[in-house]
Amino acid sequence: MRTYITRRVLHGLLVLWLVSLVIFSLVRILPGDAVIMQLDQAAAPTPEALKRARQELGLERPFLAQYRTWITGAVQGDLGRSLITRRPVTQELLKRINLTSHLAVMSVIVALLIALPIGVLSAVKQDTMSDYVGRLFAILGLSLPDFWLATVVITFLAIWFQWIPPIGFAPLWVDPVRCLSQLLIPAVIIGARLAAVSMRMTRSSLLEVLRQDYIRTARAKGARERAVIVRHALKNAFIPVVTVIGQQFSVLLGGTVIVEFIFLQPGVGSLILDAVLLRDYTLIQGAVLFFATVIVVTNLLVDLSYAWLDPRIRYR
Amino acid sequence: MKTAPFPLTTLPLVMLALALSASATVAQEKAPASEKDAPFAYAAPAFIKELDTRFPAQPPVPPSPPRYGGVLHFPAVVRAFDPTVGYRPELALVWDTLTEWEAMWNFPEVQRTPVIRKTLVTDWQIQNPSTWIFKLRQGVKFHNRPPVNGREMTAEDVKYSYELLKDKAQYSTRAALVKTITVIDKYTVKFELSMPDPKFYLNIVDSLSPVIVPREAVEAPGGLAENPIGTGAFMLKEFSPGDGALLVKNPDYYLKDRDGRRLPYVDAVRLYFTKDAATETALFRTKQLDVMRISTLDQLYALMRTTPDLQLYRVPSFGWGDYGLSMALDKAPFSDVRVRQALSMAVNRDIVSEVINKGDAALYGPFPWGLAGYTKRPDYSYANLGPNYQFNPKEAKKLLAAAGYPNGFDLELEWAEFQGWNYGEFAQLVARFYNDVGLRVKLKQLETSTWLAKVTGVQPFTHMLAAFSPIGAGPSFMDWVYLRYHSSFPKTMNREGISDPKLDDLLATWRQDPGDKRPVLQKAIWDHLRKNVYRITTIVPPHYRVSQSYTHAGGNPYCWFPGYCSYEAKTAWLTDKAPARKFDKFAQ
Repeated sequence: MRTYITRRVLHGLLVLWLVSLVIFSLVRILPGDAVIMQLDQAAAPTPEALKRARQELGLERPFLAQYRTWITGAVQGDLGRSLITRRPVTQELLKRINLTSHLAVMSVIVALLIALPIGVLSAVKQDTMSDYVGRLFAILGLSLPDFWLATVVITFLAIWFQWIPPIGFAPLWVDPVRCLSQLLIPAVIIGARLAAVSMRMTRSSLLEVLRQDYIRTARAKGARERAVIVRHALKNAFIPVVTVIGQQFSVLLGGTVIVEFIFLQPGVGSLILDAVLLRDYTLIQGAVLFFATVIVVTNLLVDLSYAWLDPRIRYR
Repeated sequence: MKTAPFPLTTLPLVMLALALSASATVAQEKAPASEKDAPFAYAAPAFIKELDTRFPAQPPVPPSPPRYGGVLHFPAVVRAFDPTVGYRPELALVWDTLTEWEAMWNFPEVQRTPVIRKTLVTDWQIQNPSTWIFKLRQGVKFHNRPPVNGREMTAEDVKYSYELLKDKAQYSTRAALVKTITVIDKYTVKFELSMPDPKFYLNIVDSLSPVIVPREAVEAPGGLAENPIGTGAFMLKEFSPGDGALLVKNPDYYLKDRDGRRLPYVDAVRLYFTKDAATETALFRTKQLDVMRISTLDQLYALMRTTPDLQLYRVPSFGWGDYGLSMALDKAPFSDVRVRQALSMAVNRDIVSEVINKGDAALYGPFPWGLAGYTKRPDYSYANLGPNYQFNPKEAKKLLAAAGYPNGFDLELEWAEFQGWNYGEFAQLVARFYNDVGLRVKLKQLETSTWLAKVTGVQPFTHMLAAFSPIGAGPSFMDWVYLRYHSSFPKTMNREGISDPKLDDLLATWRQDPGDKRPVLQKAIWDHLRKNVYRITTIVPPHYRVSQSYTHAGGNPYCWFPGYCSYEAKTAWLTDKAPARKFDKFAQ
């Protein structure tokens, strides 16, 4: 087990180094730069003024010199300063991660609360009305784009209730009521889509497990149906579901950008999008490196959780 | 701000109901009140007529006396609250320029001559067109915060600020002419220019000119981003990138209103950094925004149906926000004036107006009408633009044939999505018009940043680029015309690389004239440009500023939007009907 973890950590470090190199190169291939993106439409700078501005930001230095400075800082936990706000990238990221992680965790909880009961019911009552309704829900969740749902929800909340989720993030432990008022609706919108994926996965996985010999044996031994489902089938059926949730959680950390925009709850997704649009190289690099780290760690944790779910799995 | 918790347990049911009824209700929302079954487009002329009647160009004068207190909310886009990093008009809330526009634009039928409000400067003398003496207001104090601690602003600060900012990309348009600044005494500075400018005082107005910053704050750890100290009417209390900003009243602000009352009237200003039109309208409907800008007539219509008591200020645009086409003049066939004239004649501007904004738009020429002496809306006509701007496909074909292109030619039209504009439909429309006269158009959509690089002249475009015309920050001929058309300027200013000796002569004569002949020269330049069509311009939609019924957005009614005229926030006030608001921080 220890050897396995060591090998995975080393692989992870290699991946992170390659990611750093690729992202550092890619952002510099993009046309435009932070200096141009910050200009007002009324501005008419001379080429000399633009050059001076680039020099101030260090964009005129040789590629390798820029990379060396950045990666040396990153290894020591300093991701540099944003080219736009001039604030430390780490500070900007941490502030947004707080909101995004709240949103992601709440979305996953909402998704699981919806997906698991419906998925199990749908599998156990296969080809009945309950199953059809559950599958309809799943298709609906997959079909409704979250940007559309979010726009509709915010518009009609404003028209019907003269209310929209308050702006200005408060963590759960500081002001739980405000936090839930802000994030529950966005979490339900994001969670609805995630629930659809998870519900389908739960259903198909449970159906497959329910056809296994050991389930038949359990039933033959006279175990009650509830015990067969809960004690014998569910745990094994959850392995692919956990994989999907793990992958989706990583995606959620950066992929809630549309909902963040619409509900004016700026998380990491909108931070990265803004950074890309404004060519804020240091912020893009820092954020991508951070996400790469999250994904590497999440994948490792998901892999390790398989052994807990299925004791037959052993790592070498 | 309304922050009462929503009944959370009912959320899933509410959301399901919302989703299921969405499409039907959207249709209802858009249905015109008078003809419920008629499509929106058919109601637009009646709606425009209603707007003309209910909301004339000149809004009513706000009642007096104003009420003090409250927090004014409006949307904005500010990436960095630091004038050394980038420019945004909203920075004028914190940092003053030497003077500012009292009327931001010289609107037709409202005010012909822009008035300059003397803020940090109270008077100026012209020794010669290259040497200017400015007298500073005495007793102006920086915000009372460390490390500056409310010390008085002096001539040394003006010299320091201009030397710090004048060559920055965001300010160089206005300040690059300044060669040296000399402190004559504590309240007097002398500006020496690198070339004569009889109207240099126009270059120190508004926040595209260098603002005045204290050296101690710039040199303190974190610079102005961490120490946002100026002489402005508001002090930055919180800047939360992506969320917004909260600015509180500067109790020591030096300006007073016309009746001698202290400014500003409101206790604080909150900016929301919104990125989505649906979010903005939802915030407005729930009274979390007091004043905002609307991009299109459709959006205005939908909002007016749900917020009938809103106030609208619908202002003909001076020139900002037009739909135009730049051409690669250094390449054939665009170097041929007949081809350019044909390309302009092939565009039906009435249809462009219909498609882009349901017909609520004005024709637009080589530069703002007001700068050519046309100061009334009826002047904005095809007659005053001449034949090159009138839809005439037959003549266009003849001109193309005469230029050697009887079978047309291939051209690439580049465009991009850009917030607040509708270039996608504009580009398709132009392609259709050009196809009708035998041209083969390839539309090329660009990523927005690439497009911006081409718009700013940093990167070349292949043949044609759909974009707004180069603009100025105020009603200055220098910004809008001289810098944009004189061949001595690089493509970052003169986007198309226009090089016309006769035009250069006219511009040089204008530049050297002390003022008497300038109106005649400006008209002559207009005539020259509309004949040569160096840039194809079409229409410009008006500005729509909506405000809540309890908001008097500026004692000066001419400012069309606090975000672009943010010093007007200091004269805005809220009635006692305004919602009670706290100074909540964005991030807890």
